[in-house]
Amino acid sequence: MKNKIYLLSMVLGLFILLSACSDNSDSTSSDGEGEDEVTLDVIWFSDGNEGEVFKEITDKYTEENPNIKFNIIDTPYDDLMTRIRTRVSGGDAPDLARISGVNHVQEALLDLSPYLEDKQAFLDEFVDVAIPTVERGDKIIGIPTDVTAHGLFYNKEHFEQAGVEVPQSTEDVWNWEEFKQALTQVKENSDARFALAYDLSPSRYSTLIYQNGGSIFSDDQQSLVINNSESVEALEYFKDLHDQELIPSSIWLGGENPNSLFRSGQAAMHFSGNWNIQSYEENADFEWGVTYMPEGSQRSSVAGGKQIVGFNDSEHKDAVADFLLYFSSQEVNAEFVKESSFLSTRADNAELDYEVRSEEMKVFADELAVTSELPTLDWENPNMPSVETLITENVQKVLSGDIEPQEAMDELVDNVELEN
Amino acid sequence: MKTRSWVPYAFLLPNMLIFGIFVGLPAIYGVYYSFTEWDGISSPVFIGLENFRHILTDPNFLDMLKRTFIYVVLVVPFTVISALGLAWLLTRKIKFANFFRTIFYLPVMISFIVIGLMWNWILQVDTGLINYLLSLISIDPINWLLDPVMANISVIIVTIWARVGFFMVIFIAGLQNISPTLYEAADIDGASDRVKFFKITFPMLKPITLLVIILSFIEFFKTFALVVSLTGGGPINSTKYYVQYTYDVGFNQGEFGVGSALSLILFIIMAVITLIQWKISDGGRV
Repeated sequence: MKNKIYLLSMVLGLFILLSACSDNSDSTSSDGEGEDEVTLDVIWFSDGNEGEVFKEITDKYTEENPNIKFNIIDTPYDDLMTRIRTRVSGGDAPDLARISGVNHVQEALLDLSPYLEDKQAFLDEFVDVAIPTVERGDKIIGIPTDVTAHGLFYNKEHFEQAGVEVPQSTEDVWNWEEFKQALTQVKENSDARFALAYDLSPSRYSTLIYQNGGSIFSDDQQSLVINNSESVEALEYFKDLHDQELIPSSIWLGGENPNSLFRSGQAAMHFSGNWNIQSYEENADFEWGVTYMPEGSQRSSVAGGKQIVGFNDSEHKDAVADFLLYFSSQEVNAEFVKESSFLSTRADNAELDYEVRSEEMKVFADELAVTSELPTLDWENPNMPSVETLITENVQKVLSGDIEPQEAMDELVDNVELEN
Repeated sequence: MKTRSWVPYAFLLPNMLIFGIFVGLPAIYGVYYSFTEWDGISSPVFIGLENFRHILTDPNFLDMLKRTFIYVVLVVPFTVISALGLAWLLTRKIKFANFFRTIFYLPVMISFIVIGLMWNWILQVDTGLINYLLSLISIDPINWLLDPVMANISVIIVTIWARVGFFMVIFIAGLQNISPTLYEAADIDGASDRVKFFKITFPMLKPITLLVIILSFIEFFKTFALVVSLTGGGPINSTKYYVQYTYDVGFNQGEFGVGSALSLILFIIMAVITLIQWKISDGGRV
């Protein structure tokens, strides 16, 4: 008898333990006024201070809608997709998430079009490069919150030492040859060990392709054209910059951190994007600026975008849609991007006065203004996740001298089976 | 007295439940997913053996498998021999033996991510500590993480550094279990140190050695966190071994079906190798 009691209490103890582990935060419960209180789970990632800004915005929203609360789950960017996927496939989808590209999860996202009176008018509020990031067929599966632009940071002290002037306006943008000369001069005549730190990223690399008039996918997005002459020339130019040791190979081949190279004053320039502004503002102890990227046959940047999305499996779809539309309104969007030093996705927020580095933000905005829709379409292509890995690999093979640029790009095109 | 046969099972129950929920069940699901096409979001579609056909005919998979085997085949003997050597040295009567045991065991207590990052900083070509020290004595920088062969050597060195202490401790336990009377008898017969090592120590350590080889083989075959934080699998995939490859296929390329199939193949490889080692050593009998 005694043993049975032991056993019973043990099983009971285990049961209590397991139930304590489970998620017992009941998201819907009645409050005093009879209105259901709703807590929305938001999976969020931050590059800079945007998490704090978002928190302020949700607090304000809760003030206006006291029955809606937010549970913000901060997630490192590297784990973001894994976490979202795991939750969706485990039947525990969050209500909202901030993501960078919908491709991996688009099946799971909430279509906002039923909540909009005029779909086209809604889309027209956004800049061209932002629309393809959320439009899938006749669905609108998220809100573009901010765009990023690739651009060029430079160390003013190194450039002064070397007596090299950077372009001051869009009139005197370097061409590729002049850019290479400027890099060479700075490397030879300043304290910088390296001329240019260039991010290890297929997206950053592709900027050169677009500057040279090439692209990754064809105009109709149905086939790969990264092996055409414009794109191969871009790769040859990129390899040349490495061969001349203007870009240290340790970044693309050895995983060296380009931000550290620039921030520690070892590289005179950094080919990256506007998301670094906050961190350089706080951490770089030298004078730095942002200048225009060089042009090949044309000027081009690549627009990256962040979106905030709702999920189909959310139990509070109406609340989710209402918040998303609130978040995308001109006023709230302006607050979000201004305080986070982002570029807005809204056409009517194109000219904002930033508190931090307003001049530099204008250069990035100008890089976007001259960029066509093509890079965004390429990077939103559903085949991109497998193609981008191959771009990195094949560029690395070229840089290490294993293979010629044309051969590398032909091989890439041959190895991809496009699914549509 | 009546034997209460259910009592042991009651005590096993909590562990069985946790094992079942967090290991057993996911493993069964994994086997199922390996026969499906699944992106992790929509419903899995059963496609039979297609994933396995795809994997086994993929040259990238075969390259990766070869790379992983070379890494394991190099790193296991080095680790086992250095662990045995250290254990043998540190069980002799030398000064500060306990201090050295602690020193060699310390890396085991550091997480793989931290070890990888730390060595990444030490080995970086342009900003790393070693190349900086070399530059002070006018030696050209070494392409530690830049060159595929050097990157593999770097990973092997760091792996051994990180894990030798763990296996050393197992060997020390084994060495202390060998009865001193054997050595005393050998002394009376006038055996040399070398003879004693090969005729007594080594045979007596056979079960432990087998254990260490199997454990290290399985562990190094599954190496992941250390390499990801040290080299990220680069340059150009030259240090991307089995588990990172599987992770990429599953989580980065979104092919959970293929990823599950890769895991199943890894399980089979591990099982076969363990069986072979077991057979060769005759069940680890002395």
